[in-house]
Amino acid sequence: MAAVMDRDYYDVETGVLDRTIYADEDIYREELAKIFGRAWNFMCHESQVPEPGDFFLNWIGEDQVIVVRGRDRVIRVLLNTCPHRGNTVCRAELGNTQRFLCSYHGWNFHLDGTLAGMPGEEVFYRGNLDKSAWGLKQAAQVDSYHGFVFATLDPTAPPLPDYLGWVGRLGLDFMASQGELEFLDGVQKNRIRCNWKIAVDNLFDWYHVKVSHGSVLQVGLFDEASLAPMEQMVLLGEFGHGIGGPGISEEKFDEAVARVRGGPGAREWYDRTVRDRMQPEATELLGPVGRRSFGHPNIFPNLWVSTSPQVCLRIPRGPGETELWWFSFQPKEASDNHKRRNVYMANHWFGPGGILEQDDSENWSHATRGARGRFSRTLPSNLTMGKGADRVAEDPSGQARIETVVNEHGQRWTYRSWQEWMRAESWQELMANHSMPPTGTV
Amino acid sequence: MGDPGALERLLLQHAVQEFLFMEADVLDSRRYEEWLGLLTEDIHYWMPVRRTTTAREVDREFTKPGGIAFFDDDLAMLKMRVNRMLLGRAWAEDPPSRTRRLITNVRVVSGSAESEGDEVTVASNFQLYRTRLDSEEDSWLGRREDVLRRVDGGFRLARRHIYLEQTVILSQNLSSLF
Ligand code: FES
Ligand SMILES: [Fe+2]
Repeated sequence: MAAVMDRDYYDVETGVLDRTIYADEDIYREELAKIFGRAWNFMCHESQVPEPGDFFLNWIGEDQVIVVRGRDRVIRVLLNTCPHRGNTVCRAELGNTQRFLCSYHGWNFHLDGTLAGMPGEEVFYRGNLDKSAWGLKQAAQVDSYHGFVFATLDPTAPPLPDYLGWVGRLGLDFMASQGELEFLDGVQKNRIRCNWKIAVDNLFDWYHVKVSHGSVLQVGLFDEASLAPMEQMVLLGEFGHGIGGPGISEEKFDEAVARVRGGPGAREWYDRTVRDRMQPEATELLGPVGRRSFGHPNIFPNLWVSTSPQVCLRIPRGPGETELWWFSFQPKEASDNHKRRNVYMANHWFGPGGILEQDDSENWSHATRGARGRFSRTLPSNLTMGKGADRVAEDPSGQARIETVVNEHGQRWTYRSWQEWMRAESWQELMANHSMPPTGTV
Repeated sequence: MGDPGALERLLLQHAVQEFLFMEADVLDSRRYEEWLGLLTEDIHYWMPVRRTTTAREVDREFTKPGGIAFFDDDLAMLKMRVNRMLLGRAWAEDPPSRTRRLITNVRVVSGSAESEGDEVTVASNFQLYRTRLDSEEDSWLGRREDVLRRVDGGFRLARRHIYLEQTVILSQNLSSLF
C-alpha cells in the first residue's frame, strides 16, 4: 500500500502542521492501527468494576471492548465481537453478569472470555468444535496504575509503567495525591464533529482560555488569575505524553492560594489543591517540580487527566467525529461537604452541559471543517508560539521542565510524537526511532 | 354529570398547559431574563446521565439525584447560564441558536387546583429542535417531570427533572435550556 505517511505532516523545524491530518480518511485508518492499536488505552477505574461479573464497555479506536472482572477478581479486556460470526456479545454499557451470551446463535462465554458452550454443540457441531480455540479475543496486555486500568492490543508494547514514563505516571500521581479515589457513577458522554487530535491538543492550550471561555470570567465562575494564569510549566515525556498549564513558583504558593476568587466551588477547590501540594507527602509523591505543576496531563494518545479530579477520553469516531467521555471521582475519605463540591464541579464545569466546556466544541468542529476545503486544507496550521524562545530546566530529581508563559510546546510535542508513531512499523521501530524529550533550547 | 371534580381538573389542566406553553415561548424567543422570573428561589433543575442496561438491571438506567448529571442546577447556576448568554461571549450561543419547543402529553400527576400555595406535579413530553449557523442541527426528545408551585395567583417552576432519550449526547453541547 502506498505509504500514508509519505511526507512530513508536522514540520519539526518550523512548527507548522499540515491540516490534512484532521480530514484524511487514509490517515485516520492508519491511526486506528498504528496509534490506538498499539498504545495503552485507558479502560476504566478499578472501582467501576468492584465485583466479579461487573463489566463496562469502552473502545480501543473503533474496536469495542468489554472490561470485566472475573471470578478470580482479575480484570480482563475482551473484544466485544463474537468469534462465531461477529455479533456484539455484550450490549449493555455496564452491569453485572454471569456470562456473556451472544444474541445471534447463542454462543456463550465465561467472564474470562473462554467459550463455555453453544446450542447444538453435540447435535449440530457433532462435537467437532475445539472450544478452547474459539473464545473471545483478549487484549494483549492489561495493567493498572493507581487504580486506572489500561489495555493494549499489541503484545510487543512495553509494560505500562515504562510506557507511561515519569510524565505519564506523574499525570496519574496528581490524582493519587488527592487520596484513594472512588468512581462517581455516570460517565458523561457526547459527540462532537471534530477530529480527535484537535480535542487532544486543546487540553494543552492555555491560549484559548480567555477568549473561548471569556463568558465564565464575565459571570464570575472563575477569576482571571485562576483560569488563565501567566506562569506556565510544561513537562514532556517519551512517546508523546505531556503536561502543560499553570506552574506555581515556590515563593508564590501562599499568594496563589490567596488570590483565587471565583464562583461556588472554584475557590475552595483551588485552595485545597494548592494547599495539599504544600504538604511534605505531596513532594514525596509528585517530586519537587511536579508538585508545583497544575497543568493538564495527556496520557498519549487521548486521555486528559484533570485535577478536578476527572479524566476525559477523546474517542475517535471517524476523521470528523469524536466522543468525549468524562469519568469523575471523589476521594474516598473526604468529608460530605468536599464530596458535594466534587459532584458540583463535575456537573458544572465540563461535559456537554458544563459552563466551561460548551463553548469549546463549536471552535473544534469548525477547525476540523477548515481542514476539509480543497484549498483551506492546503493552508498550514500555526503551532509556533514560543518556539525557540524557551529552555528546558534540568532538576536533580530528573524532573526536567520548561517554565515560561503561555506557549505551544505541549501541542508541538504531541504532533511530533504522533508523526513518529505513524511512521514506525512496529513497537520495536518506535522504540528505536522516537525522540527523547528535548533538552536545551526548545 | 356524575363526576363533580371534572371541571376543577379541566381548569387545572388548562392552567398548567398555559404555563408550560407560555414558558416554551419565552425560551424560544430568547427572553431568558423573563424565564428566570418563572422560577422559584429553591428551583432544582436536573438532567441525569442515562445508560444502556439489560432489562434485568434497568434500575441502573439513570444516575441518581445528588450524583453525576448533565444538569444539576440551583437558581444561582441558572442565573449564571443566562447571564453568560446575555454578556455576549458565550460562543455556543452567539450567534444565537434557533430553537423550537413542542410540549405535548401534558398530564397532572398529583396536586389539586383549589388550595393556594399548593404544588402540582406535571409530566410532559417535549421535542426541542435546534439549529445553529448553516449546518448544525439537533433534535432532543424526552420527558419532563415538573413541580409547579402557586405563587401570587400564577405558577412558578419549582423543580424540573429532564429525561432525555439519549445515552451518548449526540450533539456538541447542551447549551439550550430544556
Ligand atoms: S454470531 Fe454469536 S453466536 Fe453466532
Ligand atoms: Fe476549553
